[in-house]
Amino acid sequence: MVTLVVVALVPFLYTVYLSLHEMQYARVGAWAGLENYRVLLGSPRFWHSVAISALFVAITVPLEFGLGLAGALILNQGVRLRSIIVPLLFVPTMMAPIVVAILWKIMLAGSWGLVSYNVLERFGILTDTSVLASPALALYALVFIDVWQWTPFVLLALFAGLQSLPVAPYRAAQVDGATALQTFRRLTLPLMAPLMAVIVLLRIIDAFKIFDTIFLLTGGGPGTATESVSLLAYKMVFDFWNLGAATATAVVVWVMFFAFSNVFYQLLKRTLRTS
Amino acid sequence: MNARRMRRAVLGLLVSMTPIALGAAAAEAWSYKEAAKPFAGQSITVLDETTPLQETMKALVPEFVKETGIKVDYQLLNHFEVISKGQADMLSGRGAYDAVMLHSPQMGLLLQADVIRPIDDLMANKTLANPDLDLKDLSQPAWDSLARFKGKTYGFLDWNYNVVYWARNDLLGHADEKAAFKKKYGYDLAPAKTLQQMRDIAEFFTRKKGEKLAGETLASDFYGVVLEGIKGGTTFWTLWNAFIKNFGGDIFDAEGKPTVDRPENVAAVKLWAEMWKFAPPGQAEYSLIDVPTVMGNGIAAQTLAWSDFVLGIDQPGKSKYAGKFVYAGSPAHAKSTTRSAETEPSMIVISKHSKRAEPTYLFLQWMVDKTTQKRFFETSKGAGVPIRESTWTAPELKASRFAGLYTAMRETLRYGRAKPKAPKIFEIMDVMSGVVQEIALGRKTAEAGLKEAQEKIVAICAKCTL
Repeated sequence: MVTLVVVALVPFLYTVYLSLHEMQYARVGAWAGLENYRVLLGSPRFWHSVAISALFVAITVPLEFGLGLAGALILNQGVRLRSIIVPLLFVPTMMAPIVVAILWKIMLAGSWGLVSYNVLERFGILTDTSVLASPALALYALVFIDVWQWTPFVLLALFAGLQSLPVAPYRAAQVDGATALQTFRRLTLPLMAPLMAVIVLLRIIDAFKIFDTIFLLTGGGPGTATESVSLLAYKMVFDFWNLGAATATAVVVWVMFFAFSNVFYQLLKRTLRTS
Repeated sequence: MNARRMRRAVLGLLVSMTPIALGAAAAEAWSYKEAAKPFAGQSITVLDETTPLQETMKALVPEFVKETGIKVDYQLLNHFEVISKGQADMLSGRGAYDAVMLHSPQMGLLLQADVIRPIDDLMANKTLANPDLDLKDLSQPAWDSLARFKGKTYGFLDWNYNVVYWARNDLLGHADEKAAFKKKYGYDLAPAKTLQQMRDIAEFFTRKKGEKLAGETLASDFYGVVLEGIKGGTTFWTLWNAFIKNFGGDIFDAEGKPTVDRPENVAAVKLWAEMWKFAPPGQAEYSLIDVPTVMGNGIAAQTLAWSDFVLGIDQPGKSKYAGKFVYAGSPAHAKSTTRSAETEPSMIVISKHSKRAEPTYLFLQWMVDKTTQKRFFETSKGAGVPIRESTWTAPELKASRFAGLYTAMRETLRYGRAKPKAPKIFEIMDVMSGVVQEIALGRKTAEAGLKEAQEKIVAICAKCTL
């Protein structure tokens, strides 16, 4: 309990404390009340960055979940060479974000990237821009990279869940003549629901925090096309040295997630109870 | 009488020469060892940025420690960390670092926060100051524009990075290309001396796959120019100093008020954006690392690039075009009388929270000392960026295979100044780099984009410089 308070609660409460004060450089100034929040919530740039992060989450998480679930179900069928496939699948997830960013920079860099040069430009698919330089495509490229990195995690977590399901209900369903789809809907989904919920929630939180790959691959551009809320907060601290706004951002994002997680948890509880 | 006069004259001469003689003796007697005696055994912590140059300096630091007995914890961190950690340490007043390396754009905020210790008193302290330091030899206008502000001095030069013109000599010197260029543009093809020439060369060499380039059929598209275009990075710094200022423009007026949408700026941004038509399609994602990569891969004819990055590309085994490049100083405007270039002079400053300013000063002085700088270039085998005028004539540089690059660097450095002391400069750069990127991508006109940027910057600061 003491560890929890020291490690988690104290830094958070200190952040809240800072957000309620004027911050002159790195020093705590006078009481500012909700002024930092008023300025932040009135900033179109903040809301734009929230929208970018939300869009990113809205695309990546369903894709990662859908692909991960499909992969897990396939693996669960007893695929050959599973002992080799499983460790290999973990490779993208185990990579540090900076390695992922460098890897995809080498793949997608306009005119010299492996994919850009050998595939996209050679076959005339994208000749007037590059994936990361295009305001219309840059965010989707980042989505693709996130899906590439995190789908294996979702897949393996779900696969582990499927492996731990009790065998008896499935045998009973088989005896009752249930189809594969019925078994999946009536047995697998309800049994897996708590694990699925945790995985989805973790991915939503993690995807919303996207920073490293954006920072390294696009810098938030072109324009502000890929400026996530984490990147904006980083700039507020380390570029603009506006610690008041940065701490207010951290608190607002936390409040959003706190509310979201609670709603998500209540909905899940209700769904599980119904099923 | 004559003998008496003679004796008096000799005596007078001796008396008048005594201070000079004493001064000379003092100069001879001064040494780091003697100056450091009161501080022997003390420890100082210095934060610098990880670059090949600073790694070389790190290898020399034990020589200072051995000579003075002052222990130096010379820490090297990456670019972002050195800014965030060093700046946070100074602004918060923790004082973990006695001295911190600062990029010139950081100066405004830290001067405003009053956390940099001026060194004028230390420079005037005869016990500490090396009489042979020869400060007039430090690179100008880099040092004055960076370290001197409102009558005070804040440090010496740490590095002196600069942007040079870099082109393919095999293309610019090709007889058929030269003839075709002269026919089309009416003047000789050569490394661009002006931005307008750079634009013409960019247009001339932009070719499609299947066309001929220097007698060879192109297997893929070839581009006349490559420039940094990513949001952030040094995209706008280079546009500002290598284009806008050469057009006679600037983003601040003499009083520091924003003047982003003035006509000179619009004209400069238009030329810069026009060059994007002759650049690789992904230029908006190109950072200062992509630009040398593209040049090394041989898909562009010319660029403006940071000279220290050239050192990593123009090497046998690194690029098949190594040895086929030519360099020049950053181009001027064809008609404007003002001349500017993008450089990044930086320095190590003493934190106001340091309790060991004297030994730290000795170390900073030793870093820029002629002897240390000579050792530096010997150790780096002639690879580096001089911070002293006398270094340009060093045998290591003259004999270097990069002699042409050094000539280009020197030309650029004549016109490169430190960034203005504007506390909110990074916020301003964030706005500017996003807007000019959108202009170059054709999403905004130069007029509309700069007008929008002007409004945004006025909202950040009505008077932006100190």
